[in-house]
Amino acid sequence: MDLTNRETWAALHGMFFGAIFLLAFAGGLAGLWSLRPEWVTVNGLKERMFRLKLGVTTMAVVAWVTVITGTWIVYPWYRAKPPAGTTDLTDFPKSLLLATPGKEEWHKFGMEWKEHIAWISPILATAVAFIVLYYGNQLIADKKLRYASIVLFVLAFAAAAVAGGLGAFITKAAPI
Amino acid sequence: MATIRVQRRDNRTIDEIEWKAEELEIVEQPNGPAVAALLAAGVGVFVLGLLTTLAEANTDVADWLNFKNRVGPLSGKTIMAVAAYMASWAVFAPLLWKRSIAMNTVLIVTAVLVAAGFIGTFPKFFELFAA
Repeated sequence: MDLTNRETWAALHGMFFGAIFLLAFAGGLAGLWSLRPEWVTVNGLKERMFRLKLGVTTMAVVAWVTVITGTWIVYPWYRAKPPAGTTDLTDFPKSLLLATPGKEEWHKFGMEWKEHIAWISPILATAVAFIVLYYGNQLIADKKLRYASIVLFVLAFAAAAVAGGLGAFITKAAPI
Repeated sequence: MATIRVQRRDNRTIDEIEWKAEELEIVEQPNGPAVAALLAAGVGVFVLGLLTTLAEANTDVADWLNFKNRVGPLSGKTIMAVAAYMASWAVFAPLLWKRSIAMNTVLIVTAVLVAAGFIGTFPKFFELFAA
C-alpha cells in the first residue's frame, strides 16, 4: 500500500487540504450566519468570534495552499506532453483524455474550468478573512457587511467545490 | 441583563439588545478597509476571467502569459490576477482606510466584477472567442 510521489501530492492537494477546507468553511459559515444580536450572549460571542476567525483564516490559507500546489506541482504532471512515439499514455493524463474517445470533454470542459475557477476561491476567501479579522464584533451590528461576507464566503466555497468535484472526476478518468 | 451597545461614528448610541445578561460595546470602524478588500477581490477575480478569455482569443496573449513552460499560460493568468488583486488592494486600502463609503454602490461594483470573472473562466464562454 505505497503511494508514489505523484499520488501523494494529488492526495494532499485534493483530499487532505480539501477536508480541512470543508471543515473551515462549515465553521466559518456557521459562525458568520449565527452572528446575530438576538442569538448571542457576550460570553457566547467571545467563543464564537474565536472560532469564526479561526475558520475564515484557515479557509483562506488552505485555499491558497491548495491552488498553489495544484497549479505548480500537480498540474504540470497532468499537462506534460508525451515524447514522440509514446503509445502508453498512462503517465500523461491530458493526452490520455484527449486520445480516448468519449473522454475528451473531461479535459476540454472539466479541466479547463477547474484550473481557472479554483483561483477565485482564495481571492474571495482572503477578502472575507480580512473583514472578519478587522471588524470582528462590529459584524453583529453591520448586517450589510456581514451578509456581503457570507455571500463572498459561499462563492469562495462554490468555486472550490466546482474545482474539487471536477478534479475528483478527472482523476478517476485519468489518474495522475 | 446585558446590552450590546453600538456607538456610531456620529456619536449616536444604539442598543441592539436590551435583555441579554451583559454589555458589549462596539465602536464602529469606517467601512473603507472593507470596501478596499471587496473591490480588490473583485478586481482580482475580474482580471483572472479577462486574461482567461483573452488568452483563448489571442495566441500572442497566451504565449506572453506562458511564464513557466511546465505550467503553460495558466502560470501567467494566475500570477497576473493575484498581482492585480494585491496591487489594487495596496492602492485602495490607504486611500479608503479612514473613510466610510456608500456600501450599496460598492457591493454592486464588486458583484459585477466577480460575476464577470466567473463568466470569463467558464469554458463555454471563453471558447466563443477561440482564436
